[in-house]
Amino acid sequence: MWLGIPAGLVYTIFFILPIVTALFYSFTDWNMDRFDSPKFVGMNNIINLFQDEIFLRSLWNTVLFAFSTTILKTVVGLVLALLVVKKFRGNSIFRTLFYLPCILSCMIVGLLFTGILKQDGLINNFLTVIGQADLARDWLGSYGTAMFWIIIIEVWMWAGFTMFLFISGLQAIPREYYESAEIDGASSWKRFTKITLPLLAPSFTVVVTFNITGGLKVFDLVYSLTGGGPGFDTQVLSTYTYRAFGMGLLGKSSASALILSIFIVGVTFVLNKFLRSREVDV
Amino acid sequence: MKLTRKRIGTILTVLILLVISSVYIVPILMMVLGSFKTQGEALHMDLTLPAQLQFENYQHVIETGGILRGYTNSLIITVSAVAIIIIFGSMTGIIISRRGDRKGRGLYYYFVFGLTATMQIVTTYALILKLGLYGTYISVIFVLAAINLPFAVITFSSYVKGIPREIDEAAIMDGCNSFQLIFKVLLPIMKPITITNLIIAAIGIWNNFQVPLYLMSSSERTTIPMMIFNFYGLYSRDWNYVFAALVITVLPVVILYLCLQKHIVEGMTSGAVKG
Repeated sequence: MWLGIPAGLVYTIFFILPIVTALFYSFTDWNMDRFDSPKFVGMNNIINLFQDEIFLRSLWNTVLFAFSTTILKTVVGLVLALLVVKKFRGNSIFRTLFYLPCILSCMIVGLLFTGILKQDGLINNFLTVIGQADLARDWLGSYGTAMFWIIIIEVWMWAGFTMFLFISGLQAIPREYYESAEIDGASSWKRFTKITLPLLAPSFTVVVTFNITGGLKVFDLVYSLTGGGPGFDTQVLSTYTYRAFGMGLLGKSSASALILSIFIVGVTFVLNKFLRSREVDV
Repeated sequence: MKLTRKRIGTILTVLILLVISSVYIVPILMMVLGSFKTQGEALHMDLTLPAQLQFENYQHVIETGGILRGYTNSLIITVSAVAIIIIFGSMTGIIISRRGDRKGRGLYYYFVFGLTATMQIVTTYALILKLGLYGTYISVIFVLAAINLPFAVITFSSYVKGIPREIDEAAIMDGCNSFQLIFKVLLPIMKPITITNLIIAAIGIWNNFQVPLYLMSSSERTTIPMMIFNFYGLYSRDWNYVFAALVITVLPVVILYLCLQKHIVEGMTSGAVKG
C-alpha cells in the first residue's frame, strides 16, 4: 500500500487541497491586501458575479465558444476523416499535415495568427491585392470579428485531432456492411446516413465530450490573441478569472473559477447521458 | 489510360485535400519566409521571398531572446514532471489493480474524481506562495504532475488489470520480492501504456501556459510558451525577430513529431477516448 503514497501525496497537496480551499475562499472577501485574514461574506461573491455584466458576457462567450467550436470541429473533422480514410498514395501526408497544429503551443499559434489578422497582416494585404481594400480591418481588434476568428483558429488547431478520432471509428466499421449494402443497390448517400453515421455514434460521444470540456476551459488562445478584448468582447470565464486575480480579488476570482468547474461537470454529465443513449450496438 | 469512376473520385479527393492543405501551409510558409526578411520586409506580411536571406535574425534572437534559456527551463520542468507522473502513477496503478479490496477501490475513486474536477488555479497560487515556492521549478513541476496524475493512475491501473495474476505468482515462486516483481516483471509488460502516458503528459506540459503564467510569470525560470509571449511583448514591431523566434521554438517540436508521429497520434487519440 505504501507504493501509492507518493502519488497520493502530490495529488492531494497540489490538486485536491486547492479545490477544498477554493470551496472555502469563494465565500470570503479574500484579497491581496488582506491575504491572511479573509472575512466570510456568504453568497456575496456569487451574487456579485451574476450581477456583473462582464461576468455574464464571459459566461455567454464561453458557451458560444465551446458549442460553436465543437460543432465546427466535429463537421470539419468528419469531412477530413472521410477524405483521408480513402486509399490512395500520399494520404498519410495529409493526415500528418492536418494533425500538426495540435502539438503546437497555443502561444505559437496565437502569434502566428496575429501576424495574419492584424491591421497590416496577411489577410488585409491579400484583400488589397485583389482590390477589396475597404474590407480590410483589424480583425482581432474589432467588435464581432475577434470572437469569430478565435473560433476559426481553434478549429484550425484541433480539427486534425478530431479527424483521427473519427478515422479510428471509421476503421472499426466492418467492410461487409458496405458490401452487402452495395449489392442491395443502396446509394452512397444512403450508405453514409444508414451505416456510417449510426455506427460512428461512439466516436461522436468522444469527440463532442472532449471538445466541449476543452472549449469551456479555453484560456491560452484567447489570452494570446486578444487578451479578452476589444473591450470585453472576447472575455471568457478563465480570462475573467485571471483578470480578477490580476486585480488582487482572490475571493471573487476563486468563485468565478469554481462556477466554471461546476458548469463543466454539469454540461459533461448531461451531454454524456444524451450521447450514450444514442449509441447503437454493432 | 481509361479513367474509371473510382479514379476520378480519387483525383477529386486529392484536389479538395490540396485546397484544404493550403490553409495549413500558408501560415507556416509566412512564418518561415518572414524569419529571413529584414524588419521592413517582415512588417509587410506576405508570401514573397526575402530579397536577401537575413540569418542575423536567428543570431539576434538566440543572443537576446532567452529562447535557449526557455528551452532549458521547459526541459527541466517537463522531464521532472513526466518522471513523477510515470513512476508514481505506475506504482499507484499497480497496487490499485493488484489489491482488489476496499482500500484499493477507494484510492481508485479518489483519483477518478481528479479526472472530472478542474484545477483551481487561484488557490493553487496561494498555496505555492504560502509554501514559499513562488517562481521556482518545483512549484510548476509538482502542480503539473498533480494535474496529470489522475489520468496516469487510472490508465495504468486498468492496463495492469489486464495482465494475468499468474504472472505475479510465477515470479514470486521463482523468488522475486515485490520490488523485483514491479520493476523487473510488470513494468516491462506495461510499456505500451507507459509510452501513451509519456506522450500525453510531455506534450501537455511542454505546451502548458496557464500554470507558469500564474506561478512564475516574469521569472528567469519560465518555460518556452511564456518566453515567446514575453519576447513578443518586447519586439512586437520587429516581426522578423518574432518569426525567427517562432521557427526556433517550432522546429524541434515538428522534427520530433515527424519522427514519433505514430506514437504521438495513437497516444493522444487513445488519451481522449479513455479520458
